[in-house]
Amino acid sequence: MNAIETHDLTRYYGTLCAVDHLSLSVNNEIFGLLGPNGSGKTTTVLMLTTLLRPTEGTAMVCGHDIVRAGEQVRRQLSYVPQDMAVDIKMTGRENVLFFAHLYGIPRAKDMTDEVLAIMELTDRADDLIRTYSGGMRRRLELAQALVHEPAVLFLDEPTIGLDVAARKKIWEHIGGLRKNGMTIFVTTHYMDEADQYCDRVGILSKGQIVALGKPSDLKSELMTDVITAKVTGPVSIPALEGIHLVGQAEDEISFTAENGREALPLLARAFAEQGAVVHALSLREPTLDDVFLHAVGKQDEPRHFDDHQFRIMLRRRT
Amino acid sequence: MSSIRHYMERDMIKWLRGRIAVISLLIMPAAWLIFVGLTLPVTFTGNYLDFITPGILVMTMLASSMQGGALLMFDKILGFLNKFLALPSPRESILFGKILFITIRGVIQSTIILIVATLIGASILSLAQYGMIYLILILFGIVLSGLATTVALYVGDHDSYAAVNTMITMPLFFTSSALMPYSVMPPWLRAIATVNPLSFAIDAIRSVESGVVPFMQIGILTLLCGVVLIVCIQVFRKMTV
Repeated sequence: MNAIETHDLTRYYGTLCAVDHLSLSVNNEIFGLLGPNGSGKTTTVLMLTTLLRPTEGTAMVCGHDIVRAGEQVRRQLSYVPQDMAVDIKMTGRENVLFFAHLYGIPRAKDMTDEVLAIMELTDRADDLIRTYSGGMRRRLELAQALVHEPAVLFLDEPTIGLDVAARKKIWEHIGGLRKNGMTIFVTTHYMDEADQYCDRVGILSKGQIVALGKPSDLKSELMTDVITAKVTGPVSIPALEGIHLVGQAEDEISFTAENGREALPLLARAFAEQGAVVHALSLREPTLDDVFLHAVGKQDEPRHFDDHQFRIMLRRRT
Repeated sequence: MSSIRHYMERDMIKWLRGRIAVISLLIMPAAWLIFVGLTLPVTFTGNYLDFITPGILVMTMLASSMQGGALLMFDKILGFLNKFLALPSPRESILFGKILFITIRGVIQSTIILIVATLIGASILSLAQYGMIYLILILFGIVLSGLATTVALYVGDHDSYAAVNTMITMPLFFTSSALMPYSVMPPWLRAIATVNPLSFAIDAIRSVESGVVPFMQIGILTLLCGVVLIVCIQVFRKMTV
């Protein structure tokens, strides 16, 4: 029995299809759900945590149906939304103890101490949350989620708005939980983090899974090297054998090539012949970003992933 | 059932730690008692303080409930509600916890008003009379906090809710029987005051003070309480899944 099993899971908001016949199996792993804004990530998590009814299809969490057996489902899971909701007028210990009581677990006090220790918050447990940093608040939310030892943990954007060190720490904790046999379902925008820490990722575009697998497999499917060219001037995409376009973001154009070293001078020459100015050419191994652009681009999305808009949104949220 | 208590305790801790909010909630009604109750030159009664205290008690319940109604809406806006809804404890206990907290807070304020009123010259009543006053206030508090919480959750944004709040509280107070008896009201005000729900609770408390047991009013309030709770649960369920 898989921890999470969805079959044709679908959700409409009016006529807009947010999640479109999603079928997934997740078990005993860190599963990362990636996708542009509005691709249906949060909607999927809301349905799996019984906070939203699916329009069609079914899903099981630990063998319980999310619509018919909501309470049993909620007994098996913990959910940390992206809003970072902790009571700032209460201490760390009070915040966790409150959840321990609501879960109705025996030995609430001992378990609270235990999870605070795991999240390295024991020293600050009796301070008010208003004195906590963003990373500590996130860890406190993890402590709240872990206090009833769930089988499945849902994390919606767990590292959004945190600094690099805090993000690393959160992921190390998530990795530790996975070793203890927990199934962790994460949504994230950060490709590098998904690449580094997720066992498997699914890329969601317009409510559909467009790529699914281990990050390393997805990257090797793209094959070989990625070339990024920074070009201004009259640009048309040169048709060269063995060189394929991945995507274009502002003046940066990405290609894949079987042999990157040989492709570089060919590309430079092709651009020069068009009268374009090549500012930089770089060669690297493919990253999950490339997989993402490739998968999402393939969908012919009318409104492309707006990087600038996304950064504004990030800033607003922190 | 214990989850209701835990939700209530959370709000209570948060309220007591916001000291200014506590002080302001206590000063407002005390100011009414002292500056209106003691100073207004009225001729229709010997002890205006005795007359106005029930009105202040009911107004306090109303203001406290209207203000408390925003709590669940803020929990929703700030993301707490989704965390609570994903817990295995019965979801309705979130709503009941709020109603319990708001009602208890109103009772605490009412107690302080009764103490202040007695200190500055209101008549002392029997224990049974105080008991009945509290019963009326608690029933009224549950009705109001249930309605306020549900309306706020339904409206969903705090600007609109604040507008609803100001629109309701003061007009409701001034058109009730809180400040003067029906006999001295102009006829148009009397017509409004008799159908004003605040007057209903105020009159019930006044009959307790005059030594009558208002079985009818208490019965109606209890019935209303049940109806309001059923409606609130239905709306809450609809709004949360």
